[in-house]
Amino acid sequence: MFDRLPLPSQFDRVIVAGGTVAAIVATPVLVVLLALLFSDVISGPEFVFYLAAIVVVSGALGAVLMDNVVHAALCLVATLLGVAGIYLLLMTEFIALVQVLVYGGGVVILLLFALMMTNAAEDPIVTDGSQKPFGFLVAAIMGSLFVAALLDAQWGDPTANVVPFVDFGTRIFRDFSVPVIVVAVLLDIALTGAFINARRAEEAPRERAEAERAGEARS
Amino acid sequence: MIPIENFLVLSAILFAIGFYGVLARRNAILILMAVELMLAGVSINFIAFATYLDADAFSGLVFALFVIAVAAAEVGLALGVVLRLFRERRTANVDEADSLKW
Amino acid sequence: MTDILGNPLNMQYELLLPEIILALTALAVVFVDAFKREFNVGYRALPFLSLIGLGGAAVATVLLMNDQGDFARLVEVDDFTTFFRLLFISTTAVVILGSWEYIEEHVNHVGEFFGLLLLSTIGAIYMAAARDLLTAYLAIEVLSFSLYVMVSMARNDPRSGEAVLKYILLGGVASAMLLYGLSLLYGVAGSTQYSEIGEALTGGSGDMELALLLGFVMIVSGLAFKASAAPFHMWAPDAYEGAPWPVTAYIATTSKAATFALFLRWFAGPLLPAVDDWAWMLASLAVVTMVIGNLVALQQHNLKRLLAYSSIAQVGYLLMAVAALSTDKGSETAGALLVHLGGYLITNLVVFIAIIHFYNREQKEEITDLKGLAQSNPYLALVTTAGLFSLAGMPLLAGFFTKFILFQAVADAGYLWLVVVAVVASTVSLYYYLVVIKQMYLYEPLAEGRWRITPTGYLVTGALFVVMVVLGLWGTPLYEVADAAAKALFISA
Repeated sequence: MFDRLPLPSQFDRVIVAGGTVAAIVATPVLVVLLALLFSDVISGPEFVFYLAAIVVVSGALGAVLMDNVVHAALCLVATLLGVAGIYLLLMTEFIALVQVLVYGGGVVILLLFALMMTNAAEDPIVTDGSQKPFGFLVAAIMGSLFVAALLDAQWGDPTANVVPFVDFGTRIFRDFSVPVIVVAVLLDIALTGAFINARRAEEAPRERAEAERAGEARS
Repeated sequence: MIPIENFLVLSAILFAIGFYGVLARRNAILILMAVELMLAGVSINFIAFATYLDADAFSGLVFALFVIAVAAAEVGLALGVVLRLFRERRTANVDEADSLKW
Repeated sequence: MTDILGNPLNMQYELLLPEIILALTALAVVFVDAFKREFNVGYRALPFLSLIGLGGAAVATVLLMNDQGDFARLVEVDDFTTFFRLLFISTTAVVILGSWEYIEEHVNHVGEFFGLLLLSTIGAIYMAAARDLLTAYLAIEVLSFSLYVMVSMARNDPRSGEAVLKYILLGGVASAMLLYGLSLLYGVAGSTQYSEIGEALTGGSGDMELALLLGFVMIVSGLAFKASAAPFHMWAPDAYEGAPWPVTAYIATTSKAATFALFLRWFAGPLLPAVDDWAWMLASLAVVTMVIGNLVALQQHNLKRLLAYSSIAQVGYLLMAVAALSTDKGSETAGALLVHLGGYLITNLVVFIAIIHFYNREQKEEITDLKGLAQSNPYLALVTTAGLFSLAGMPLLAGFFTKFILFQAVADAGYLWLVVVAVVASTVSLYYYLVVIKQMYLYEPLAEGRWRITPTGYLVTGALFVVMVVLGLWGTPLYEVADAAAKALFISA
């Protein structure tokens, strides 16, 4: 019976290696955070926040840095679930729920399907553009400017409280009635666009002839 | 209570990472993923402002919900286009689609 | 009915009647297209039905013109909205009338195409009419999404898929940037209502100055992308070239005008108190756009790309007026911008519809393909020439009159140096328009013989041509309407 279980050697090596590295990096961070928590430097919610933030940021970095597209997509899942955790910390269960359902259940599956249907299945390794250093510079400048500006501001007195589901529904469907209708139109347009593009269009006679000629030349 | 700055800084970092992804990636689907990261940053911003500074009207929560809806629709539409382009050109890389120049 | 804060909500549905008519027509068009065989109707039923719907919406707009107010604090119906409703409805109608032969020949999925054209008109109208950031954002996306899909509908054109991919990816990034800016604005003002944002900014941004400035940078970048202002214009030439011709015309007219309607609603309304924070951004964007648009246009050999860069240059002139908005003379500047938008739309439509009819006949779109058009079809050559001259701002045509008013208003607002740049840029622009005109008049045609365009072609181009000339000689009606619209903008703010 046990020989039917997959052996570690049969695991994707990257997953094992990645998991080991993640565990090695995460343990000290976790230890530091726990130490801070128990020495009362940070509060309980803040401890959870930092944990979620680490998941979000490292997942995001993985999503933009990984060479293997499937691994990048899995990192995106981690980020989006971490973001859902952040929403929970912000006391908005409903949007956290929507985030998990729409992103975890829909968008990422869609992305993975598209990756599989394009070349990712045979050749999952992608090369990035040549403007990587430039992109890094721009993003770093942008990020630090954002952080500086946001920390510079005095954001007034927080008055956080939990929004009941009922109020939320009333707010959306009564106070924001027009946006609900407009977003329905928007989804309709996106649906139309998706099926128009994904459906195989009739090939132009000229293109078909060229394709046939190319095929003959190759054989 | 967690200071609001924590959330804002997290969202700024997420947005910047997403922007880096847009600039550095060549594969259209990976660029889309980077855009999703940027939009996640935006949603965090909206929700943080809504719960901390606009708790009575919470328009930001509604905004974030619509952002999620629009982002999902955009992914659907864009992936349709990517599949079409892949069928036509056998590539999902943006810079190999280069018949339009200047 | 009151909202969650106790504000009374006005749920008067007839305020939204024109858009409801448009949406129902879009549904009907798609439905009729799907059951063409059962209904025993041909292709012509689709443009016909769309035009009936557009006519109905226009009639509803005019009849309910005095029935003004806000719908549930989300949509504002005033003279400004009415102005843009009529402008967008007529633009869509002209595009359909001028290119229905083209659409049958060169567009995949015609039923969906007409439906999307009508739905995108709704998006454009709500960009002008919104009084809440959420409505405005969704309207922007409705317009952008329809444009993405319509760009991708060119039949048998391998450039189409590539154009739409670039457009959609860059558009997504631009939307994200715009949204980030909006989220910061929401954080500073504490509300998504225009009126409350205006109040919050009037009190000064206080300790949040940097964050607000950052918000403006992101908002302006996002909108500059939608308006294809340099340096956010990279998508425009590609999308123009890959799109079917009517969509190119539609992007150059409605999409631009809608973005400027939104610019006016935001920057002449809630954001006006913070004018010192954003005026310089828009002024520098305007300069860069005018310079890049005109200089790159000089090197083009494809008609669509030439028109793309020419429209980018035109965006520079329009941005100038947004930058020149100010608290004391804002209404005049906004009025001038609306006048120029009207002139720009009519002129562009003249050029585009004329070239669409040329394309129907020749199936070519290089500038050199226009060789000898003056001999093979003198009427079309004359109309195109007049349109191009009007774009360049030659006297006696609409382009001159509206541009003159625009430049004057900007100079009055204290931006004389911007006007100087703009005048130099317009002079440069004359060169590349003349290159096209030279092809038509100075060369022998490639093939012998004269040809004619279709009757509706004569009708549409003729009518637009007459309007363009009349407007150049006697522009008072447009000026008065635009003035009323601009005043409404400042009352509601």
